[in-house]
Amino acid sequence: MTILAIALKYLRGRFVASTLTALSIALGVSLIVASLILARGIKEGFLVGATDYNLLVGAKGSPTQLVLGVVFRMDLATPNIEYTTYQGLQNDPRVETAVPIGIGDAFQGFRYVATNSAYFAPFAWRHKMYSLSAGRFFADDPPDAPTYEAVLGAEAARATGLGVGDRFYEGEEMAEYPLTAVGILRPTHGADDRAIFFSLASYWGMNEVARKLTVKPLTAVLVRPKRMSDLGSLHRELNVAAETQAVLPSGVLLTIFNMMAVAEDVLTMILAIVGIIVLLYVFVSLYSATLERRREIATMRALGARRATVLGIVLIESCALAAVGGVGGLLGGHAVAYFAGALLAKGGLVANPFFLDPLEAAVLASVILLGTLAGLLPAVLAYRTEVAENLAPLS
Amino acid sequence: MTTRPAVVLRDVRKSFPLGGGGSLEVLDVERLDLPAGSCTVLRGRSGSGKTTLLNLIAGVAAPSAGSIRVGDTDVLALSEARRDRFRAAHIGYVFQTFNLLSAFTALENVMLAMVFADAVPRRLQRRRAADLLARLGLGERVAHKPQQLSRGEQQRVAIARAMANNPPLILADEPCASLDVRTAAEVIATFLEVCRQEETSLLLVSHEEAALAAADRIFDMAELNRAEARRAAA
Repeated sequence: MTILAIALKYLRGRFVASTLTALSIALGVSLIVASLILARGIKEGFLVGATDYNLLVGAKGSPTQLVLGVVFRMDLATPNIEYTTYQGLQNDPRVETAVPIGIGDAFQGFRYVATNSAYFAPFAWRHKMYSLSAGRFFADDPPDAPTYEAVLGAEAARATGLGVGDRFYEGEEMAEYPLTAVGILRPTHGADDRAIFFSLASYWGMNEVARKLTVKPLTAVLVRPKRMSDLGSLHRELNVAAETQAVLPSGVLLTIFNMMAVAEDVLTMILAIVGIIVLLYVFVSLYSATLERRREIATMRALGARRATVLGIVLIESCALAAVGGVGGLLGGHAVAYFAGALLAKGGLVANPFFLDPLEAAVLASVILLGTLAGLLPAVLAYRTEVAENLAPLS
Repeated sequence: MTTRPAVVLRDVRKSFPLGGGGSLEVLDVERLDLPAGSCTVLRGRSGSGKTTLLNLIAGVAAPSAGSIRVGDTDVLALSEARRDRFRAAHIGYVFQTFNLLSAFTALENVMLAMVFADAVPRRLQRRRAADLLARLGLGERVAHKPQQLSRGEQQRVAIARAMANNPPLILADEPCASLDVRTAAEVIATFLEVCRQEETSLLLVSHEEAALAAADRIFDMAELNRAEARRAAA
């Protein structure tokens, strides 16, 4: 038997109290870890979705609404612009890539996104690459011959149960224009996981008004200039135009992150209070346990245990409780993030629940350190236990 | 039996401070020598300083004055940590209320004493504890926790624990005070037999007939403790 075994034996001896203490630590840590994962995951989701293109061109209006609606599909789509805007940008010598986007209705809550093959092209500058887990991409069909082929985001496919070859539509009026799933994307851990993609021709074909228009409508154009030095002039020219605005997605992201920072500050404060409550609980639990067994501690001292030994036993107990609670909290935090992520996804926010934040290791180390420190005062109480006083026969 | 004393006390005094100033002297022993391997019984009324005397010899309390030697060691010259180590290896202590640790089995309670002393190699500790419990008639009860044992069995576990490191000296503070007469006689008989087999010096606080009958020497605290005598005369 070792000092470690003695400490663990004491913990097992107070199984219910020890379990509750470890559980309270685990719950506190879960909350902290889940918040970390979700906050960082949401930011990552925004960054992954927004940083491939330097400019987003759409109808005049709110820049934030344009970015949220087109890039993250979290807001109502802005009014349409003309397809000629895209054609003009595509032919602009300053533009390396222009990708047309049409935001449509939704199928079971999963937004329709019309685009062309450039959206999925493996450009070297991309932060994320698209690949299929099944099937193929849809074809860039001509406007007069839409194929109504669709590629589903990973989450959209999972949630709707649609597979390659399945035909689907939402609303009786769309029964004449059913889409056929031809491919399913691998998870991107971004807004694309919850989208259903098809060609612009299909988009226009499904829309009664668009079918009749000579100049076809679009929601936005994603633009990447050849040189960053051209970004300013493109931005200025497109904003001066009567019908369009050009938005720097990174600027809008900054605004979003600034708004999130306020919420994060409040969350940090709440988490700090939770942490303090948990530490107090650990302290009270160990302190009362130490008070209860002062006689046993005095007995150990009489048997020859040094003061440092009984101090060590109580510290090992608090350290073990903190370690068990901390590890349980990490696992619990990921579980909470997984379920909370699914809830957030319904509102359009995509957070990767498996995202491993390097801060988690720091959280675990801090929990073990602080948990052990919470046991310090009870340990000192054990250390200072006077043998003769506490061995007096019980009346 | 060897003639070298197991315990030597000279002019040992113990006083406790009183709330309103001054102090209360509870112990004043001019001279006490316990021969090695002997069985000495202390008796006296409640509050006569018996437990205080044992605590001073064990080094769990410090005297106000005097010298205490256990074997060749001046226990008061040792630092507290060294005194703890010395006590673990050289002194067994049996308490009136057993003081077994409730979270541990009988076997583990006995092994605990060996963990703190480091006098018995770790690989032999379990076997030594099991052997001792078997010699005390508890071979079938090693896995039981204190609350699953009778009071007599608990006290025998406490005796096994005191003997775990094969200490040259065992201090026992009314080990049978809470036992019925028959169980007390059985426990005392077993205790004395095992101490004789191990050639352990025993200082026993007891009023049991069996203990008094088996003792090599008997001290009455009213005579040994001059502070007690002074209080009685006052």
